[in-house]
Amino acid sequence: MDVNTELAPRLTESTLEIFTGMVMMEIEPLEETAAALGVLHNSITGMVGLAGTHKGLLAVHLPEAVALAVTGSFLGMEVAEINEDVQDAIGEIANMLGGDLKMILSDKGKDIQLSLPSTISGETYTFASSADIDHLVLPFKAPDGIFQVVVELEK
Amino acid sequence: MAKNVLLVDDSSTMRKIISRSLRQAGLEFGKIFEAGDGQEALAVLESEEVDIVLSDINMPNMNGIEFLREKAGRDAIKDIPVFMISTETGEDIIGEAKSLGAAGALKKPFTPDKVNEVLGPLM
Repeated sequence: MDVNTELAPRLTESTLEIFTGMVMMEIEPLEETAAALGVLHNSITGMVGLAGTHKGLLAVHLPEAVALAVTGSFLGMEVAEINEDVQDAIGEIANMLGGDLKMILSDKGKDIQLSLPSTISGETYTFASSADIDHLVLPFKAPDGIFQVVVELEK
Repeated sequence: MAKNVLLVDDSSTMRKIISRSLRQAGLEFGKIFEAGDGQEALAVLESEEVDIVLSDINMPNMNGIEFLREKAGRDAIKDIPVFMISTETGEDIIGEAKSLGAAGALKKPFTPDKVNEVLGPLM
């Protein structure tokens, strides 16, 4: 599957569905890119790994302000700092996106296993991977800033 | 009589969202119990009056499939219906869940309307 022509539109659709239907937040897709993200500042990343016929990961990178707004909207309460609720919410968004990615990549979800979601956050961290991968970055505009959904798949 | 529900999901966020969605869907229910994995769910089922279980599949310690298998071997709780709510809704895994007694499956993400449509008949 070509990540740009086939995967990108379907994962964009999944992201819009998750944010509109469950997070209760309107977001707008921006132009996709193959550029690596490099250093992330004051952000949180939720990710799930894929194993089986497709190996790689799906990650969602959100600046803290966006993550707080997303979690607040998701849970219907005000969230002032990165805490367990934020980590759990962002991990669950990655988990839902990973489930959709699995269904997109394989025949009805067969032969791909998903890891449990995990999160990392901090003032400065680098998100890097090997060169021999298919890399897709889908940016989205949320009310409090821009976040990215990233897919990296072994070629 | 309103039915008591057990929500099984390792994500506390998702347990809150499911609970909220049940209310938004207009479904009547009694108590809501929560468990973070299959092991905790079995303990709740053995100690509380639960009528319906809504369970994730992909969980640490004891996942949803292992939970169904273990529950099926316990006479006191084996007939309590379990509905899977998961990102994992491929035919293979849902087929395995149904073969172990799952009543059906609801895919994440879901809307309150979808919750009403799928879970309404059970409630």
